[in-house]
Amino acid sequence: MSPLLLLILLPLFASLFIAVGANARRTALGAAFLNLILSIFLFARYDLHAGGWQFVSEWHVVPRLGINLILGADGLTLCMLLLSTLVTFSALWVAPKIEKQEGLYYIALLFISAGVIGAFSSLDVLFLYSFHELALIPTFLLIGIWGSGDRQAAAWKATIYLGTGSFVLLIGLLALYISMPAGVRTFDLRQMTDLAATGHWNTSSPVIYLLLLIGFGTLVSLFPFHSWAPPAYASAPAPAAMLHAGVLKKFGLYGLIRIALPLFPPAVHDFFNPLLLILIIGNIGYIGYVTVAQKRLDWTIGYSSVMHMGYIFLGLAAFSPLAIHGLLGLNGAALLMFAHGLSVAAAFALCGEIRQRTGTLDYAELGGLAKSVPVLGLLFGFVAMASVGLPGFANFAGEILVFFGATAALPSTGYLMMITIIIGVWGVVVSAIYMLRAYRNIFWGPIAARWESLADISPTALYSVVLLLIPLMIAGFYPQFILKMVATLLPQ
Amino acid sequence: MPTLANYLIASGLLFAVGLGGVMLRRSIIVIFMSLEMMLSAANLSLVAFSRYGLINGHQNYDAQILVFFIITVAAAEVAVGLAIIVSLYRARQTTHVEDLDTLKF
Amino acid sequence: MHLSLIAWITLIVPLVAAALILLVTRTNKPLAAGLAILSSLLVFIGAWILFLGHTDADYLGFNWIDLGKNFSIPFGLAIEPLSRTMLVIVASIAPLVFIFSLGYMKDEEGYWRYFAGLALFLFSMLGIVMADNLVMIYIFWELVGVSSYILIGHYFRKDSAADAAKQAFLVNRIGDFGFMLGILFIWLATHSITFSAINSSASNLSNLGLAIGVVLIFCGTVGKSAQFPLHVWLPNSMEGPTPVSSLLHAATMVAAGVYLLTRIFPLLAASPDASEIVVWIGAITALGAGFLAIGQDDIKGILAYSTISQLGYMVAGAGLAVSAALPMFHLFTHAFFKCLLFLSAGSVILGMHHEQNIWKMGGLKNKMPLTFLAYMAGMLALSGCPGLSGSFSKDLIMAHAWEHHQAIFWVLVAGAALTPFYMARQASVVFFGSPRSEHAKHAHESPLVMVLPLFLLALPAIGAGWPFFKHIFFPETIGTLEEPDHLPHFVELIFLGAFVLGIALAFALYRNPAKDPLRIPLLTNRFYIDAIYDWAVANIQGGFARVCSFFDRWFINGILVQGSASAIWFLGFCLRFLQVGNLQAYAFFFGAGVLGLIYVLFTVH
Repeated sequence: MSPLLLLILLPLFASLFIAVGANARRTALGAAFLNLILSIFLFARYDLHAGGWQFVSEWHVVPRLGINLILGADGLTLCMLLLSTLVTFSALWVAPKIEKQEGLYYIALLFISAGVIGAFSSLDVLFLYSFHELALIPTFLLIGIWGSGDRQAAAWKATIYLGTGSFVLLIGLLALYISMPAGVRTFDLRQMTDLAATGHWNTSSPVIYLLLLIGFGTLVSLFPFHSWAPPAYASAPAPAAMLHAGVLKKFGLYGLIRIALPLFPPAVHDFFNPLLLILIIGNIGYIGYVTVAQKRLDWTIGYSSVMHMGYIFLGLAAFSPLAIHGLLGLNGAALLMFAHGLSVAAAFALCGEIRQRTGTLDYAELGGLAKSVPVLGLLFGFVAMASVGLPGFANFAGEILVFFGATAALPSTGYLMMITIIIGVWGVVVSAIYMLRAYRNIFWGPIAARWESLADISPTALYSVVLLLIPLMIAGFYPQFILKMVATLLPQ
Repeated sequence: MPTLANYLIASGLLFAVGLGGVMLRRSIIVIFMSLEMMLSAANLSLVAFSRYGLINGHQNYDAQILVFFIITVAAAEVAVGLAIIVSLYRARQTTHVEDLDTLKF
Repeated sequence: MHLSLIAWITLIVPLVAAALILLVTRTNKPLAAGLAILSSLLVFIGAWILFLGHTDADYLGFNWIDLGKNFSIPFGLAIEPLSRTMLVIVASIAPLVFIFSLGYMKDEEGYWRYFAGLALFLFSMLGIVMADNLVMIYIFWELVGVSSYILIGHYFRKDSAADAAKQAFLVNRIGDFGFMLGILFIWLATHSITFSAINSSASNLSNLGLAIGVVLIFCGTVGKSAQFPLHVWLPNSMEGPTPVSSLLHAATMVAAGVYLLTRIFPLLAASPDASEIVVWIGAITALGAGFLAIGQDDIKGILAYSTISQLGYMVAGAGLAVSAALPMFHLFTHAFFKCLLFLSAGSVILGMHHEQNIWKMGGLKNKMPLTFLAYMAGMLALSGCPGLSGSFSKDLIMAHAWEHHQAIFWVLVAGAALTPFYMARQASVVFFGSPRSEHAKHAHESPLVMVLPLFLLALPAIGAGWPFFKHIFFPETIGTLEEPDHLPHFVELIFLGAFVLGIALAFALYRNPAKDPLRIPLLTNRFYIDAIYDWAVANIQGGFARVCSFFDRWFINGILVQGSASAIWFLGFCLRFLQVGNLQAYAFFFGAGVLGLIYVLFTVH
């Protein structure tokens, strides 16, 4: 039994059991816990010396067209799988008591988990895409049924917008498939990479690259395709926001790293680099200041997650397979994906806890909460500091590697990269502005009478958030534990 | 001697009358009859082609075979169609086509 | 025990203490304090062992980031004369402040937060001192920033404290923006980040490149050491408990900026453009803050501006590019007497039941004689009284300014006249004269646990500048601390004159006044700089943010996203009208379509 297939099937089987009447929460938690143990086991068992794809298994579906279900993992995949299982378990653990249709709620969360794990571990491009779609529809249900605020509009908007982005992506992937020489068409990523390396396959079409960039970019809320993110996260229930912002969003970046970066020649990358840099400036500079203008915590965290995607894209923009330091930015981007996934998930978990207690996330209405919920305040302090890029958390290590990578790319990319780096480093200041403002307005200052008797954070929620913070701090103190896995990323 | 053209013109006129009936009559039964008339026109032109369109000097009977197919299909279609009309009448109490507009925007 | 192990233990012990305090001691006050004080004593022992060990080394711990031979960020401890001296400064003052806190914070709440923050700070500060490369020092730089944030925000229920903590962190971050760009720039130019490597590659950089790199790194100093224009956070940081003000915001953390400059001193000295910028910012800060200290009515506020001013002296001393030891010597003496002054202020505040306005004090020399004596030692040292530590270090900087940069000399001398003036103002209003309020009448001396550290600090405040100590702590390898040759005698008379003038003027004006005879709005309103910044943040930054938010909401979201959705809806709305509901119309459309198709098929070849 392939371990990766097991990772995908466990949540699906759990859904089945829940559908026939098992206790939803316990079944889901059990499956997620087993997944977590399994992914830690796989992470530890990866053979660093051998490198490359391991734990590979293959099932033929339509061999003539090159469509097969192929599962495999390399270092980066295992980091993403670890992230997925951590966030899934934490999200399920922190989920509050559901009144209506509890079974469907947990099934939806499990489907997202299965989809995401399948997407990350899939070596067949078509299945990569399909697993992502599998993870997308349950978010529609979660936001629309159990969300808050203007949930139905947010659900529709997010799903259709992401669906459109996926559609563009599909066109790009099919175009990529068709552009392969006639006899060797396949969706197998390994064969595609080999084919591109031998030079028999002319992949210098800028149109396909642009389609992939826009398609994956929409999924990652790249400026200007980001408008779906803040309302979706604001309306989503906390576990859904955790899974979506923490894990599902990283899929687009993962796709770019796996497909767009290795398969296209450097000329195409250089052609689109200026465009990508301008969009990154949009993400970091423009969205950064939009975040500063927000007056509610959920919108702040939502926009801030859009802003931080800019840093990961900067790492990708600095990619240059032939230069000495060409992979620095990419390593930083991978580390940042792991770090941001954990920190934003923790942030949304705590945001949900605050909303549960006070019913509001408005800065004007909250204040002084550190007196009545000190432990919640302490945890949120940790999460805020992680998000701001304080050393000791993995976010800082990722960001600094991205900065170094971008600096290394300076001689070959010119003034636009320099401006982007300056704005990127300034973004560190901007993120401190809005995060500290949020913390000060929610937890510090005099406390209003109505918040005096709030219950502090429950042990369940405490442990779920700590579960996310501990790997974040381990990777912050010792980034090598992630970097040594990611460094197996193959260049051309 | 009637030529192929004569038969085709007759067929065409018959088809036009049938088409006119489908377009312009209000009663759905009359529309059905006109539909049958259009099918008969097609049959007529097929028989004419069979009689006048010689292949290698010999008469070709393929079109006459097709006529039998068309007659059969028309019969089946009438059976189903009349059944639909009867249930439509039962549901709406009318056979006027103009009264059936619930799918209007 | 091997010295490298001692160095690492010295660094890690406070972090372990902080973690333990956080996890274990939230309700156990003595344990929290005990862990912190124990860690500071261990650090003290470790630091002195390293100092007396006289062994220079770079102890590589591990590669924090290791991406092969092409890129790695090491974590190493650089033990060399400069870092050893800084190490003993930090390690000697910290235990005294920790022990003082036992008395000062006795009845406060949030005890564990306070000591955890102090322990975290000690760890971070030691990291700054011993870091052997730019990235590592940046990491610990940020960590002292967050410790400062936690400690300034200790009384977070007060709006003023919450805002002060936020401001401190953000203003420091702005400085760190320049600092990070400097690190990236220097890495790009020299492909190294360790101090030893970059300091020896000064000649590889062009003049412009060197200047840009140094000025960018100097931005970090401007933020951390509260130089103009990023000085606004330091006076507000007085919202924190007084021992915090004394340790972080007087003696050690703010001095880290100066320490950074001395660490890259070869680069600074090689760039005349950068040195010029550095020395002028230092001098302007020194003089400007001196003026602002005159207008302060809070006992800690006066000392805060005085700290900014003295940091300006240190920065100016570095900018003179004479030797790395010049600013460090003043940092050394300043750490002791400024910490002493703050702790005595803390003693006064406690005796006055947390009243901090000097116009409510008076006559305290009789009520708190020990505090008074300790305070006077610090005050005289700061003012430049001949023979005390401060005069040695400050006069040396001014002497070198006379030699190398006359304009700076006069600015610094003006500041040297202001310093005794505002200190004597404070001394005379607080300690002399008669009590001006009930609290002052009933003030009492502080307990031994607070007075003992005062006296232990008074000793170096008096004597740290004497040649004997100068030679122990500042060997020639750091830099020269000799007087410049051919220094005319009248210059020394100028120094003495400034001291005497300041004190005399102050005693003349402030002999037992009921209220301040000198009310200059420009000074009491801090040159309006704070007000300008507040306005700029609210309107320029806030305005820009609102514009971006508006654009995002109405243009990107409204027109592009909602607009395209509406366009599609409209398309559907138009197409609806094809469904006319008339069966025969549909048949007509069908027939017309077939005819059209036939036409197309026959006309397209």
